[in-house]
Amino acid sequence: MQELKDKVTQALKEQTLDGLLCLKSSGGYILPCIVTSDNIADLDSMVIGDERYPIATILSAIVAKQPGKTIGVVVRGCEEKAIIELIKSNQVDANRIVQYGVACSKERAQLCSCEVPYPSEILAGTKVEGVSDNQLLSKIEAMPSKDRLSFWMDQLGKCIKCYGCRNICPVCFCEDCAMEHDDLVPTGLVPPSIPSFHLIKAIHMAGKCIDCGFCEQVCPMNIPIRTIYRKMGLVMKEVFDYEPGLSIDERSPLGELEKGLEAVAEK
Amino acid sequence: MQRLRNIQPKLSWDTVIYEDMAEIEKTSSVNGFEPKIIGFLCNWCSYAGADLAGGSRKSYPTNVLPIRVMCSGRVSSHHVIKAFQMGADGVLVTGCHLGECHYMKGNYMAAKRVPVIQELLGFIGIEPERLRLEWVAASEGERFASVVTEFSEKIRAMGPSPFRKSE
Repeated sequence: MQELKDKVTQALKEQTLDGLLCLKSSGGYILPCIVTSDNIADLDSMVIGDERYPIATILSAIVAKQPGKTIGVVVRGCEEKAIIELIKSNQVDANRIVQYGVACSKERAQLCSCEVPYPSEILAGTKVEGVSDNQLLSKIEAMPSKDRLSFWMDQLGKCIKCYGCRNICPVCFCEDCAMEHDDLVPTGLVPPSIPSFHLIKAIHMAGKCIDCGFCEQVCPMNIPIRTIYRKMGLVMKEVFDYEPGLSIDERSPLGELEKGLEAVAEK
Repeated sequence: MQRLRNIQPKLSWDTVIYEDMAEIEKTSSVNGFEPKIIGFLCNWCSYAGADLAGGSRKSYPTNVLPIRVMCSGRVSSHHVIKAFQMGADGVLVTGCHLGECHYMKGNYMAAKRVPVIQELLGFIGIEPERLRLEWVAASEGERFASVVTEFSEKIRAMGPSPFRKSE
């Protein structure tokens, strides 16, 4: 923690950083904040704990408004992956982002059922083993097709079309969204046209979803939507041997014409 | 840095495709279950193949509503999902054989997308066999007829789609 603070303080003073995006405690609440050289004292109230905010989503909103600034970010494992995906999609500039990795606690990893609760470089926190929880996924896969459909129609039918899952998603950034396209999703219906409303998001998540679990955590109707995205992740791994969020250079075969040709060639 | 904008402008060629697809809602069967299939045919091979099938008087079922697209790679996952939401019993995507695409590798995009969509459909509980990808060249009129016949029969055996609107 002290190492991180020292690094940031030095970078802010040397002006290699314009600001640091982190969480701070303020009046008993944990809030995301930007520390700049003007309010460097705020670093003292910076916290690294179990509280989670969609830092990558906030970051891409900041970068959209202030593209010229160099911003430091305190990142968890999932956020690091999300930022890699944002860099690949040209939403943030890799040269203008400085990441300070922190490892999550065992409790946080359990709450998120996170498989990799640490970033590639850890400046604070101790690395703990990930949690692998695919219970619901295997339960659904074991169902006969008909039961699966009725399970999902029940679940998706709860949707109140709040767009929470999309708004919080770190890898959803398009200004014109397919989930708002009149032809695909007729306006004025609650629940929206199911399952297509959710399938559209699911198909976009293939090769992009970094499995942070925010979508499911914010869903007011407790739809296990993450399970679908997780399935898409497994499919991408199986068919194309591709996993998002690992490297800036490796791009999704669904987004890049030249990638993944061998996987389908002999069909 | 350029942010992604207007990926889907309000009036796009997609709108035209959706309008064509909406024809499927108008067709109604008189006696019993008749499969409703939306077929995306690529302009250069499969559409010509279908033409040849007709020109050479091959008979095949009329269950497929043909929609001409410039390339099988033009068929987006959105189109397939929308087709099933509209109540289509099956979706057939046809294009040039791999390596023979008019746009060099457009059909590879279809070949990459389709298995992913199939897995998604299967996970949700729609039989993945309801979506089929086939390569039909311009000279393969007979093949087009047999693909359509076989697929229609398969869908007929599977029964109506769970999202089919009651008539």
